[in-house]
Amino acid sequence: MTEPRDVPAPEGVADVACALRASRAQLARRSAADVIAALGAAGARFLDPADPLRAEALERLPEASGLSAAMCVAVLDRMAADWTEERLTDLVTAELGGLAALDGFVRAGSRSAMAVGPSLSVQIVAGGVPGVGVTALLRSLVVKGPTLLKPGRGDVVLPLLFARALAGIDPALADALAVVYWPGGSREHEDAALAHADVVTVYGSDETVSEIRARTPVTARLVPYHHRVSVGVVGREALAPSRVERTAAQIAEAVALFDQRGCVSPQVIYVEQGGACAPPEFTERLASALADLEARLPGGPLEVAQASRLHQARGTAELLAATGGGTVRHGHAAPWTVVLEPVAVPLGPTAGRFVRVRPLADATELPGLLAPFGPHLQTVGVAGLVDRLEKIARALGEIGASRVAPFASVAFPPAWWHHDGRGPLLDLVRWVDLEEATASRSAPGPSR
Amino acid sequence: MHSEEDFTALAADLERRFDAGVGTAWTDHDFNALALAAFALQFEGLAPYRGLCEARGRTPATVSRWQDIPAVPATAFKHIDFRVAGVGAPEAVFRTSGTTGGREIRGRHLVPRLSLYRHALLPPFRAHLVGGRDCLPFLSLIPAPADRPDSSLSFMVGAAADALATETQWLVDARGSLDEGGLRSAMRRSAEAGEPVLVLGTSLALLHMVERLEAEAGAPLPAGSRIMETGGFKGAEREISRAELHARLEAATGVPSRMIVSEYGMTELLSQLYEPMLSEGASAVGTYVAPPWLRVRALDPVTLEELPDGAPGLLAFFDLANAGFVCHVLTEDVGTVSAGRVRLSGRATGAEPRGCSLAMDELMSVAR
Repeated sequence: MTEPRDVPAPEGVADVACALRASRAQLARRSAADVIAALGAAGARFLDPADPLRAEALERLPEASGLSAAMCVAVLDRMAADWTEERLTDLVTAELGGLAALDGFVRAGSRSAMAVGPSLSVQIVAGGVPGVGVTALLRSLVVKGPTLLKPGRGDVVLPLLFARALAGIDPALADALAVVYWPGGSREHEDAALAHADVVTVYGSDETVSEIRARTPVTARLVPYHHRVSVGVVGREALAPSRVERTAAQIAEAVALFDQRGCVSPQVIYVEQGGACAPPEFTERLASALADLEARLPGGPLEVAQASRLHQARGTAELLAATGGGTVRHGHAAPWTVVLEPVAVPLGPTAGRFVRVRPLADATELPGLLAPFGPHLQTVGVAGLVDRLEKIARALGEIGASRVAPFASVAFPPAWWHHDGRGPLLDLVRWVDLEEATASRSAPGPSR
Repeated sequence: MHSEEDFTALAADLERRFDAGVGTAWTDHDFNALALAAFALQFEGLAPYRGLCEARGRTPATVSRWQDIPAVPATAFKHIDFRVAGVGAPEAVFRTSGTTGGREIRGRHLVPRLSLYRHALLPPFRAHLVGGRDCLPFLSLIPAPADRPDSSLSFMVGAAADALATETQWLVDARGSLDEGGLRSAMRRSAEAGEPVLVLGTSLALLHMVERLEAEAGAPLPAGSRIMETGGFKGAEREISRAELHARLEAATGVPSRMIVSEYGMTELLSQLYEPMLSEGASAVGTYVAPPWLRVRALDPVTLEELPDGAPGLLAFFDLANAGFVCHVLTEDVGTVSAGRVRLSGRATGAEPRGCSLAMDELMSVAR
């Protein structure tokens, strides 16, 4: 990842925030369908193989994100698929019941309600998963909320290109979008933006989120996406000889996508014992699958600090494996690592694609095992739970998980997902109720 | 099968060689032979290390060069007691005070034979800090060993004081509070007697001292006085540049920056490196010299291959003074090695945490 240039002064951020707020009046007059059509037209450019915008994105992404070129193609294809007019319409419909509530009052039973987007949503995004920033800015713009986006260090290119594309298609709408980078945690920049926001969305570590929470004006709503962890569980049925190879391949891909940087990326895989493939053998299969993926979706180059961290973690795992009955497999210069841990061991921070395999006597034990860190649990990838799936998913949901998904779709949640258990558009809008005069009790009844 | 006698014999041999001082280089042949002997003991007596070596296909049967002996990661000391079977019970337990991922994790370091540490620390200390004299008074801003029995740094200063100090003033208590009155009277006595002293402290402790002396001047230390600075500002909330600290030290104590010597050491290594300021002057700033029984290499951060002279990489240390546990340690420090001189360029930490994923140890620590 490279450090982006062009960091404005904090006063510049305040000026941008004021200009965005001023753009709201013209945005409010437009129909949601019209806004979504323009956004979708800009988004679709990233999918068109002949479009120079897509070519530019793919040229700049590897260096800016630290992901390999092949990974950038895979990530952009899947992310941008949700940026089209059709998908954006689906998203609004799933959350708000249709586009109409964004354009005026919608009557439901005896009441009328209208959804009003924020005057300014400030979105502070951390991390290095390309596409998260564009998805965030689209959520605000589809509800007609001007947005100031501070992208993550590894995700600057796509929001900037999106803003440029939108300016070419619909300059008035583009006035409601600003992409401004500053180094994460820069208090002066953050405060300049926060002062003007009425919704603040923050993605980041628990520390980042609590910092922003403490400084968000009382009149602004905070939408927090704090630290999340995802894991996976493999039931016996997925360990059968006919399925185990596919299971391992799907898990390897879920781990490898975004080089495991996503909150959806599984960190620990719990493998049920008693299946046709025991956890040690499954560990070997997962290692082979990760090694195979290096050809198709190679790992990105590691920065010195990450490479150092990886050697420290691998070496520590090897030392502990010798006495704990574990196994360590890794790709040497290729940044994947699989550690089988019969007993959980502390390794410190890891890097690259680093997945831990834990044997589990029975999949139904998982919710109890994960309960202590439920507040940080997000996705649980599943395979081979068959008729136990719903019961286990329910128990996982009760302890804190917000998503249970097959491994094949773990990395890319659908546009309409309840992100961290929330409605991402519902979090941004304010409902306005229009109440009608009710008939007085003493009023005369119907004449007949 | 090795026995305690084998370790005792190796350690006694090493101690004799250490006593010869840092002035003469060791031959590659001697260093290698001693390294392989230490490796054989460690491989046999340390089950976790044996597992790592076997996983990498590097065992005493297959390794003939010390460079091929597997290195252990420095952070493993936080999680593993490297207690070699057959070298006797540990004579000391030192603790590191590090943080990982914002949480404090203290590593333990079991030292089976303190005399090996003592013999390793004295010759470089004498050469780089006492240089040109037989002994001199110490003013220590590092807590006394009795106050901090788990600190390898306190042990080092205590052992050096026993051998090389005419007298020692311990001016900081176990919690790190400075005895300002004691400092002032020690400075005054030194000034009156015209007898140079050695001041020892961490960067942070020296900064505290400077601030007190800036508030109310003390007697300047006589010519020939020197200062040992160690530890940087690791984990401290405040930090100033080395140049600023040294300029302020010079103003407050009269000790010129060419007499301020940085020491580089870590709990995981029983040997230390020093800037050869006393012998080489200002040209030595930023370069560290290892004693002949400690070899340092810069490794490619990805492949861990040894890098050519002067290329920056992760620093790996092979310290024969560590014969009683693990000699070869891979650190997170980045630097270069050129003509035997080590130049540090920082620590390979502090990168942004990955994505929005929680540090796995927090998960693992509850899910067990």
